[in-house]
Amino acid sequence: MKKVDLTTQLAGVKLKNPVITSSGTYGFGEEYAPFYDPALLGGITVKGITPLPRLGNPVPRIAETPSGMLNSVGLENPGLEEFLRTYLPRLEKIGTAVIVNISGFSLEDYALMASSLPENSCISALEVNISCPNIQHGGMAFGTDPRSAEEVIKVTRKHTRLPLIAKLSPNVTDIVEIAKAVSGGGADIISLINTLLGMRIDLKTRKPVLANTMGGLSGPAVLPVALRMVYQVYKAVDLPIIGMGGISNWQDAVEFMLAGASAVSIGTANFVDPLAPLEIVNGLEEYCRREGYDSIQELVGLAHS
Amino acid sequence: MIKNEKVIENRVLDPGAGIFKLVLRGQTAKTARPGQFVHLKVSSTMDPFLRRPISIAGINRQLGEITLFYRVVGRGTSELTRVKENQTLNLIGPLGNGFTVPRQGKLLLLAGGIGIFPLFSLIEALDTSKVKVKLLWGAENRQFLEAAGLKTLLEKNLDYEVSTLDGSMGHKGLITDLLEYYLQAFNNPSEKESSILAWSAAACGPKAMLQAVTTICRQEGLPIEVSLEERMACGVGACLGCVCTVREASGSLVRKRVCKDGPVFDGGEVVWDEES
Repeated sequence: MKKVDLTTQLAGVKLKNPVITSSGTYGFGEEYAPFYDPALLGGITVKGITPLPRLGNPVPRIAETPSGMLNSVGLENPGLEEFLRTYLPRLEKIGTAVIVNISGFSLEDYALMASSLPENSCISALEVNISCPNIQHGGMAFGTDPRSAEEVIKVTRKHTRLPLIAKLSPNVTDIVEIAKAVSGGGADIISLINTLLGMRIDLKTRKPVLANTMGGLSGPAVLPVALRMVYQVYKAVDLPIIGMGGISNWQDAVEFMLAGASAVSIGTANFVDPLAPLEIVNGLEEYCRREGYDSIQELVGLAHS
Repeated sequence: MIKNEKVIENRVLDPGAGIFKLVLRGQTAKTARPGQFVHLKVSSTMDPFLRRPISIAGINRQLGEITLFYRVVGRGTSELTRVKENQTLNLIGPLGNGFTVPRQGKLLLLAGGIGIFPLFSLIEALDTSKVKVKLLWGAENRQFLEAAGLKTLLEKNLDYEVSTLDGSMGHKGLITDLLEYYLQAFNNPSEKESSILAWSAAACGPKAMLQAVTTICRQEGLPIEVSLEERMACGVGACLGCVCTVREASGSLVRKRVCKDGPVFDGGEVVWDEES
């Protein structure tokens, strides 16, 4: 049987396969290790880090929705220093590409994060989070205005030689405008989408279910929106794309690659089926073999021709 | 960690109270400990989407079976009622840390409503010839208590008291009334044998009840373990959805994950009212 080439090149980032896991759904790479070896994945993206530790939002942080969920975790994380001291050394042994998601409340925050995360470590790339809907300032505010999106990427770019992934928010009128802005700012890769802002109300208390009122919608419910945005960005911008948003199985992953994603990221599906990322790697390989593709990268963007 | 287990039994115990008994046969029973839970996939479709965490109420290592009780309260649990015997159910587990199982001394068990279910697994694990056990159980009414396993307690010959909101059985009022009454009795010097010092407590129930019983136990110097409940997504500590706040010895506040670091916590460490 002919072997399918699953390797994936994203700007300077080489992945053994195009399947990675999304920030905030995979901890620091330890929680799912009892289920399978994370080294079998193309990469993992760790929980978003901010300069200082954050307790995040009060509970309830989770609300179920039709074929999806809302979360309002609010960037709970141990902070930059603790990440460097405790988590980064452990990640050195994980055996796959490590993407570190960084978040901030000011341009200085992003600059600090970029200059503090070592270029000669297991870190393959930084994912610049300009799209978190669950914090009051910064986060999504940077990602919904093209000028500030460009500015954040530009500042981050100045402080690191690591490849930069700009993670875009879908909560905008024109995703292409933002994609062009981060491209102009010096992003190497674009990842999309982050969660869609949403809410639910409890009929008994007659109050919002989430303590923070609103949260980010993810899961299969958002897939068509995410796929559309990947398709639009692929057409308009010449940067490799990490596609994400409701991918639960290999069929979903193939759709994203046909729409223009060079790699796919698995988020919320981990919660329901911890083995999903692994099954997607296998499913992609099998699809290529069956359909006669020698390399997974041949699929990228085929829906456009 | 993730597996399909065979459904041996899934039947209603009391249609009025909506309480079901679910028995699963598989690997979970081999390693499960009292107070742990399993994360069940209740539907083969994507709606309802998330798994449902259900505490383990019984562990039979010989038969390789775990027993769960659940109350139908929403879409997930009502979906679960449709699962048929001899089908398989996909689960992740056993998850969480579980209760401390004392080998000697005196254990006060405090249950609020369906909070009795994880305590069943603790009761089962205790050597009652060495550990003196007293259970205080508060619920809405007699029907609920009978539906939720009062008979099991009678069969085990367990020392217990109940309270009901409507007074249909036991003390009319809250479990906190019973608790205060018994702690006073323990403190009574004439009852030297039951000196309060030898007691510890384990509790499960609604958050407000856990907060109240923790406050009372702490006033009396009684160590207490509480099993918390929170809305969960992943169940394994990855999503940070189900956190609680704990005050560390240093005085600083930290978040703990109910699914992974708990669900059982030292009640004295839990910060109940912190809201930021």
